[in-house]
Amino acid sequence: MNRPDTQAMFAAFTAALAEATTLEQIEAVRQAHTGKKSEIKLALRGLGAVPAEDRPAVAKEVNDVAQTMERALSEASAAIEARALAARLSEEWVDLSLPGLAPPRGARHPVISVEEDCLAVLRQLGFVRVDGPEVEHPYYNFDALNIPPHHPARDMQDTFWVDGGYLLRSHTTTVQARVLESRPPLPIRVASAGRVYRNEAVDATHLAMFHQLEGLWIDRGLTFAHLKGLLTTIAQSLYGRRPVRFKPKFYPYTEPSVGVDLQCGVCEGEGEVSGAACEACHGAGWVTILGAGMVHPKVFREFGYDPNEVSGIAFGLGTTRMASQRVGVSKVALLYGQDLRVHTRLHRSGV
Amino acid sequence: MKIHVDVLRRYTPLPDSLRQVRLLLDDLGLEVKRLNVDGHLTLELLANRGDHHCYEGLAREITGRTGEALTTPPVATLTLGEPPWPLRLETDLCLVYTATLLERVGEAAGQLDEAQLAPLRAAGLASVLAPVDATNLSNLELGQPTHVFDADTLVGAVTIRLSRPGERAWPLFTAEPVAVPEGTLVIADDVKILAIAGVIGCEESKTTASTRRILLESATFDPVKVRIASRALGIHTDSTARFERGSDPARPLIGAGRVVQLLEGTGAWRRVGDTGQVGAWVNPERVVSLSVAAAGRFFGMPLPGEQVVEILGRLGYIAHLSPDDGDTVTAYVPTWRLWDVEYADDLYEDLARSIGYNNTPVALPPVDMGALPSAAETRRHQIDGLLQSFGFYEVFTDGFYGRALIENLGLPEAHPLRAHVQTENALDRAYSLLKASCFPQAVELVALNQRVKNEQVKAYEWTRTFHPAPQHSLPSGRLSAPCTERRVLWCVASGTDRPRAWLDKSRPADLFFLKGVVEELAVALGLNLQLGPAQASAPLADVLHPARQASVLLNGAVIGVVGEVHPSVLKGFKVRKLRPVYLELDEDTLLAAQSQAVGFEEPSELHPIDRSLAFSLPPKVEAGLVSETLRAAGPPSLIRVSVVDLFEHEDGGVPTRTFTYALTFQTTKGQALSADEVNAACEAMIAAVESGEPGARGVRLRR
Repeated sequence: MNRPDTQAMFAAFTAALAEATTLEQIEAVRQAHTGKKSEIKLALRGLGAVPAEDRPAVAKEVNDVAQTMERALSEASAAIEARALAARLSEEWVDLSLPGLAPPRGARHPVISVEEDCLAVLRQLGFVRVDGPEVEHPYYNFDALNIPPHHPARDMQDTFWVDGGYLLRSHTTTVQARVLESRPPLPIRVASAGRVYRNEAVDATHLAMFHQLEGLWIDRGLTFAHLKGLLTTIAQSLYGRRPVRFKPKFYPYTEPSVGVDLQCGVCEGEGEVSGAACEACHGAGWVTILGAGMVHPKVFREFGYDPNEVSGIAFGLGTTRMASQRVGVSKVALLYGQDLRVHTRLHRSGV
Repeated sequence: MKIHVDVLRRYTPLPDSLRQVRLLLDDLGLEVKRLNVDGHLTLELLANRGDHHCYEGLAREITGRTGEALTTPPVATLTLGEPPWPLRLETDLCLVYTATLLERVGEAAGQLDEAQLAPLRAAGLASVLAPVDATNLSNLELGQPTHVFDADTLVGAVTIRLSRPGERAWPLFTAEPVAVPEGTLVIADDVKILAIAGVIGCEESKTTASTRRILLESATFDPVKVRIASRALGIHTDSTARFERGSDPARPLIGAGRVVQLLEGTGAWRRVGDTGQVGAWVNPERVVSLSVAAAGRFFGMPLPGEQVVEILGRLGYIAHLSPDDGDTVTAYVPTWRLWDVEYADDLYEDLARSIGYNNTPVALPPVDMGALPSAAETRRHQIDGLLQSFGFYEVFTDGFYGRALIENLGLPEAHPLRAHVQTENALDRAYSLLKASCFPQAVELVALNQRVKNEQVKAYEWTRTFHPAPQHSLPSGRLSAPCTERRVLWCVASGTDRPRAWLDKSRPADLFFLKGVVEELAVALGLNLQLGPAQASAPLADVLHPARQASVLLNGAVIGVVGEVHPSVLKGFKVRKLRPVYLELDEDTLLAAQSQAVGFEEPSELHPIDRSLAFSLPPKVEAGLVSETLRAAGPPSLIRVSVVDLFEHEDGGVPTRTFTYALTFQTTKGQALSADEVNAACEAMIAAVESGEPGARGVRLRR
């Protein structure tokens, strides 16, 4: 047998491969030059006819060429695939200036968000949430809380009276009265949150229905210092470590009563910004965030507690006002309206 | 109360800067709501401190802190004696009543100088006549309201009594006489009412520029009586503000003395005779004791007894430290505090105010452990999160609405949705009924948003409805509430399931959207929530589309309703084109229901076998009927039957829906399924459909 002309085979293969630009053409080259009927395969099959002394060298030569062809085919295929992939990826450009298409989420009401934040702080202190009726007996709304008939304090909470001598609760302190009446074991640490009602002229900043959150801690040995410590903790947990100040207030069901102010975050307590009165705090340098006090001895006596034995801390947060401050909407009526554009903008401002 | 800082300085020294004055007043509970650079201040005073409603009261509170001297304006000393005018006291609701007669010396009516009028100007009151100005000043300066009658208009004795049935009075600044509620405390002569005690004088006896003689009244009235009269007549004056908080019963002579001093100072007026007084008030000399040691514990700081005595003294108490135990302080309450000081706790407040609320120690009470949210709170948060993930916004609606809103539903009077608890005194008619259903507010919400061109509505609320209930006596003796409160979660949706986008894949936010929400709730909460047949007796049945509503069932029991809003209701609310859907669930049941344990089955590594079958359904045959029949007839290896396509067409002129049901068979190790076995199972299932109830109702396999 003649020695196979591997150089000619390889030259023909190389020329054919150079012409191939698609995977299909490469496959055709593969079939023609390395397939079963290709010259190289015939050469391999004909090695038996090569004289024994030449056979190893010829076999090596043919095998080397065959392997080289296979490598060349693989590389050519890979190169074409890479080019095709690059071309496809380029064609698959998307216009990311277009908006995303995931369904947009809704949102919790900002007042409830504030309420939950407050409750989260209170839970860390062992408070549990309790609830009570909104249509309430005046006893729980007033009398049990040391607000007798015709007391000026009743003016502070103009009341919606309903059929049957009942009223719509004007504060969530009613729930505290009910808790005290039930005489649970000490210590009592409860928080009540929800809707309250005031029968007053409604405008952008005054509502007939809004939200409050109140807390009550009853135990032996609670002091004014504890009141201040608790309120400072609550205020700073919610608003950060801004200075807190206490001022005298009057609530019929606490004595002494205190208001808690937080240093204004805009003017930092100076009361003015660039020489003008700070709008955020009306020049006060402080913003009132909650009211509180030591539970009044009359309230304790009303429910059979001995005020010499137990003492209590009661506090209330105006969650509506807090939410209004948080989202920067001074017209709280907007928050309580049903125009969903308001809610969308509050939740997706700037989007 | 409106004051000027320079006037306040006449009573006691104050810091130089207005800002420091403000901080001091705030710190004392005399909260500055408005501060003008010219020194005008608007104060918000505490509701229980009537004594703060005057310069002297403010200054006394300040001296209680600063320890500075208190200077009060000069007061003429009045001599009690034979009344200058006949006085008759017919009620004990006037604690003390004094009358002083003054007459004009010459022709001039007199004029107070500007320095004297400064408190008036600061309060925003106009100067009228010297006698009137003087009475206003007495109130502003010393907290004692007084009044002057033109003595020459009086007929007979001045009587302090309760008004009689049908009596009328002509209050100052009103156009005509008004009816006076029977039992109102009034000052009257023999023919007319001269004043509503503690509230306002009357036109027919008012002092004018031509008045020659004035009868100066200075008294203390029962605060509740004054308050009731003020509210009944709708008249609120500076006098009312003072009297209704309890005025100082020892102050009438001082107040009258200030008026006399001012008027005699003008040279135009002089007293005639002595001052007459009626009234049986005797100082009760209230004594309140406190333990210095207990007070120290209360504040968390040592509080020497001498310091307590000194502070209370500055505030007008006469206080003594017991020499026996060195601990008990006995304090005689000043007459201007008789109405609000009763307990040691009241003294604590005065001590705190004097020391400074910000100057006492701060300590957090011992906390043993925190608390997790309750199971109901946790579930509510889950529901919130799920609804929000579907695009719902939480909203608030009022707890009440007006009749106009309920009329939009077009329901007959006797309909259960029209059974309401009513508010009795709502200032706004829109608040006349406590809401018996959230539905009208939900539809109104859609209408409102449509009016502002927002048809994409997804809103929800946790709220309560109120349902009239017969009242009965409770063990406490009180009557039970006139209603039951039901907590509900409601959702409303309209528009599309997602906002319109550049690649619009949205579909209507319709009943199937809300059904999907219910199904996802069921999955998220582990509850067996399903839709069931609508209940004709449900209150909302009449306001929902009769063919597009369903009950929501929890373990087979109704806990809510879902449906499309009835077209006639939409018309009533002027909602056009939109077809909103509404879901309402009972909150208490939803939050209390036990979650079911999830039975986990490890997914097979073997490939499932899928088949699909198409069935044609005549109108009003439920696709679910076919699904259930397929499931029931399928072998254990049938793990899923789902509707994956709908083709609506006509079959022999009959509107027909053809549904494609995808069937999934799962082989398990050792139980391989052959194609023949699956095909045989399918044939059996087809036969079950065609020979069973679906077939009887016209369902056929579409081959």
